[in-house]
Amino acid sequence: MRPNRRPLLVTLTRFAMETLLLCILSLGLMPRGFAAEKPETTSAWAVQVEPVQAEVGQLPPDFGMVIYEDLIAQLVKTERFQQVFRSGDHEAEGVPNLLTLHMALQNFERGNQTERAVTTVAGATKVKVHLKVSARDGNAVVEKDVQSTVRIFGENLKATYALARNIAGVLRDAPLPAPAKGAGQ
Amino acid sequence: MPTVRENARSCVFLFLPLLFWLCTGSYAQTADTSASKDASGVHAMHVLGLEGVKRNLHGTLTVQPAGLDFRAAAAHATVPSATIQDVFTDQDSRQVGGKVLTLAKMGVPYGGGRALSLFTHEKVDSLTVEYRDTNGGLHGVVFTMPMGQAEVLKKQLVALGVRASIPVASQSKKQDAGGTKQ
Repeated sequence: MRPNRRPLLVTLTRFAMETLLLCILSLGLMPRGFAAEKPETTSAWAVQVEPVQAEVGQLPPDFGMVIYEDLIAQLVKTERFQQVFRSGDHEAEGVPNLLTLHMALQNFERGNQTERAVTTVAGATKVKVHLKVSARDGNAVVEKDVQSTVRIFGENLKATYALARNIAGVLRDAPLPAPAKGAGQ
Repeated sequence: MPTVRENARSCVFLFLPLLFWLCTGSYAQTADTSASKDASGVHAMHVLGLEGVKRNLHGTLTVQPAGLDFRAAAAHATVPSATIQDVFTDQDSRQVGGKVLTLAKMGVPYGGGRALSLFTHEKVDSLTVEYRDTNGGLHGVVFTMPMGQAEVLKKQLVALGVRASIPVASQSKKQDAGGTKQ
């Protein structure tokens, strides 16, 4: 007697889906230290973060502010810098080994979460900034274009969180020079 | 033994009440939004920025003479109006239901979940407030709230003497003309 193959197919498909979901979840729950290299020890530098520079209307204000706030939180988390100062903080004026982080908007495309959910290929939100970290003498210590994209899942603002995490990652892994003696005195 | 077609049919019947609930829920939310426009407090979600307040916390946002006040079940914070540098509003669209509904939609066969996404979105307003702390450090607070509420709060803040680099009227016009594309 020929076995009924339809239930077997359904079972196999379901099993494959569950395995895939389990893999995705286990990747998401993987400890950060396992996936990424262990961060370097704290450098002798402090950093002051400036908000994203963009022409009026190019970047929605909430996106700019979320990038700024989340970047500060991410930089504190890396423990790479002695201190992380906000833009305009008077306490930073007296710090000799101070780096200033500037971000200039290169490209912003606001996608649509519904479009992403329906089509899975359209409606991506993209943010790209030019990152420049300079010392007090104006020399650039780190200069790089950093971008992030939300493609399938998540709100549009998720792109800003990803961007802040990427920038913090760049700074965590970047080789920083030893501070010059008497810098900023 | 049920066939694939029967399984799919039962799935569709299972998700029909969900779809109905979502549609009625979004309608009720829209009706509630228009009704509570004139109320003193606005139901808002704190995206980030307030010291000592968790991200994505829901609470009530009010404009007091002292400043912008956010009150949730387990947290309370105020941004003094004297420290506020600028206020902005924006509009966005997002999917409702969170991760639970996203996973549920993934389980609907034959791409039914994607079709469901067409009915499970809502437009939201965002209110961004820039302020300086006692050291002069720049802070930003972002809230999201039902459509049409952010402009009301911005008007109230401007009436308190808070500076807004983009005037209330011109920002609404820009948003109407530009839609969601930047």
